[in-house]
Amino acid sequence: MFDDGTPIYRQIADQIKAEIMNGSLEPGGKVMSTNQYAAFYQINPATAQKAFRELVDEGVLYKQRGVGMFVADDARERLAADFRERFFERVLAPLVQEARQAGISLTDIIDYLEAQEGARK
Amino acid sequence: MSFSATLRDVTLKYRDSDALADVNLELEAGKIYGLLGRNGAGKTSLLSLLAAFRKPTSGEILVGGEPVWENVGIVSRVALIREGGDFDDSDSVKAAIETGQIRPGFDTAYALKLAERFELPLKKKVRELSRGKRSVLAAVCGLAARAELTMFDEVHLGMDAPTRDAFYKELLAEYMDRPHTVILSTHLIDEVANYLEEVIIVDRGRILRHEEVEVFQGMGATLTGAAAAVDEVAAGLEILAEQQLGGTKSITVAAFDPGTRERAAAAGLEIGPVGLQDLFIHLTEPSRNGA
Amino acid sequence: MPALQHLTLPNRRFTLGLGMAAEGLNYFKYWILAAVAIAFLGPLALSRYNEIDLSTWFYTANVAKWFTSFVAGGFLYVLVPNMIAAGMTRRELSVVMGVFGFLWSAALGALVVAGFLVERVYYDAMGWSQGVQGDDATTVIGTWGETAAFAAVHPLMYLAYFAAGALVGAAAYRWQSSGWLLVFPVLVVVFSLDNAVYDTEPFGPAWAGVLGRFMDDWGRGLVLTGVAVVAAGLAIAARRILIDIPLHSKKA
Repeated sequence: MFDDGTPIYRQIADQIKAEIMNGSLEPGGKVMSTNQYAAFYQINPATAQKAFRELVDEGVLYKQRGVGMFVADDARERLAADFRERFFERVLAPLVQEARQAGISLTDIIDYLEAQEGARK
Repeated sequence: MSFSATLRDVTLKYRDSDALADVNLELEAGKIYGLLGRNGAGKTSLLSLLAAFRKPTSGEILVGGEPVWENVGIVSRVALIREGGDFDDSDSVKAAIETGQIRPGFDTAYALKLAERFELPLKKKVRELSRGKRSVLAAVCGLAARAELTMFDEVHLGMDAPTRDAFYKELLAEYMDRPHTVILSTHLIDEVANYLEEVIIVDRGRILRHEEVEVFQGMGATLTGAAAAVDEVAAGLEILAEQQLGGTKSITVAAFDPGTRERAAAAGLEIGPVGLQDLFIHLTEPSRNGA
Repeated sequence: MPALQHLTLPNRRFTLGLGMAAEGLNYFKYWILAAVAIAFLGPLALSRYNEIDLSTWFYTANVAKWFTSFVAGGFLYVLVPNMIAAGMTRRELSVVMGVFGFLWSAALGALVVAGFLVERVYYDAMGWSQGVQGDDATTVIGTWGETAAFAAVHPLMYLAYFAAGALVGAAAYRWQSSGWLLVFPVLVVVFSLDNAVYDTEPFGPAWAGVLGRFMDDWGRGLVLTGVAVVAAGLAIAARRILIDIPLHSKKA
């Protein structure tokens, strides 16, 4: 379930973010508790807590004392900007580098992308 | 109330060899610790001292803030479960479980529930149990002790994979149900890594490392790429392992800071993770540290 | 041991001592019953061929001494790792053994006293004489009072044998290869004293009574005091060995 490259708490945080983006977690909705996460993924609860703390720090989740964790109302907007930035950094930057090594010109790539976009319509 | 554990300048000698030499260790209450070390590194000695199974040659051992030796209030709430358990072999399984009742915190109903779940034959004699079932009995007694410091020393030996999995699950459930301090000593590191909060590596009678598990996870990396590029990035780094196949080279480094990661990425090297198990093997390599 | 269900921490050493005595007697109840049966039925069978002039309870009582030592040593040897691993202190364990020893000796002692007295009635009724094997000759015990007195030393003897067994058991656990060798000096002391109480020969090897020659002119009171002192000394030594005993590792 986890690949050992990145720390587990970050993978959990990423997964919660993805769930917010794809709509399975609604803004204002309640998130599972640390213990539920820990039991579900079979991890140390402190690890799950670390993920939550990071998300609270980023303003994606907020904590209501004694009640639980909730998705911030503006979580999706916050994350959208992040995702956009990460898309360029993680997906496009390596793509460009690899294309350059293979001698593929940027125009070829643009043509390809436009053709894909055209095919979808 | 879970117990903290402290070792101050602890030395344990067997005849003239040091099992532990001048060990200092501070374990906060309420966490799950992994205790790793090669055979004979001193894991069992360390646990035996914490459980007051033996007395240190010198130094101080505090559990729950109090000296643990001959301390009724403490040892009755500390459980060290050793491989195969400490049973009277002529007892029935049921009687062996009931012996746990000399601990005021022992939960007999829970023990019997677990015994049923793990299919322990209550009427059989302990000596008639298979190695696997014996380990299960020991684990069950450890869980049901409901101690404030619970230590499992290689208890999984002899259990098959599904049983180990069920044991870890139960351990985690019990831990979340009732916060207490847990120390797991094991060789199956990757199997338990996700359950741990902190990891202690013991090597040749000393504490080699004691860190949060994430520190270990981010500690090492394997860099693969063109030999020249790899060598350039690796210059000045401590290399744990090295492999070369034609022009492609692969190295494992223990200390991998963000700056190096960037340089490696810029040089087009493939960056792979190093599992806790591999890292542990490298860190305790006998050829390291001038041994 | 169902009594353990509701034990409290300060009292558990007494509860457990009581439990051990109860369990020990319960565990061996058929042996004990068999010994009692043989003690009474044996002479009946023998009387068809021989004239009965020896107390069978004397033999039963002597076997019980050895048995007591084995129980004390065996239990302690098993209890050390078992109880310490279950979260008990060595001090508590020494109290457990003390309570166990007193109760065991009292129970067996009471049984033996009753046995001798009943035997006296039985032998008188059958016209046999209740005698014991002395150094060379058979001695008739004599009056009722003498039977009672002869029987009455047994609880103390059991205590001494219990302490001796506990000491050897503790030493055998502590020094796995050599601890049991303590059995020789302990046996010599206890056996010689036992011999001297009534100038009788208890069951066992003759060499073990070697110290008897130094006690030839001791009065019975002095010998019994010696037994009490030795019992206490053995108990103290056992406790000393136990008090900082390390548990052995499971494997090399």
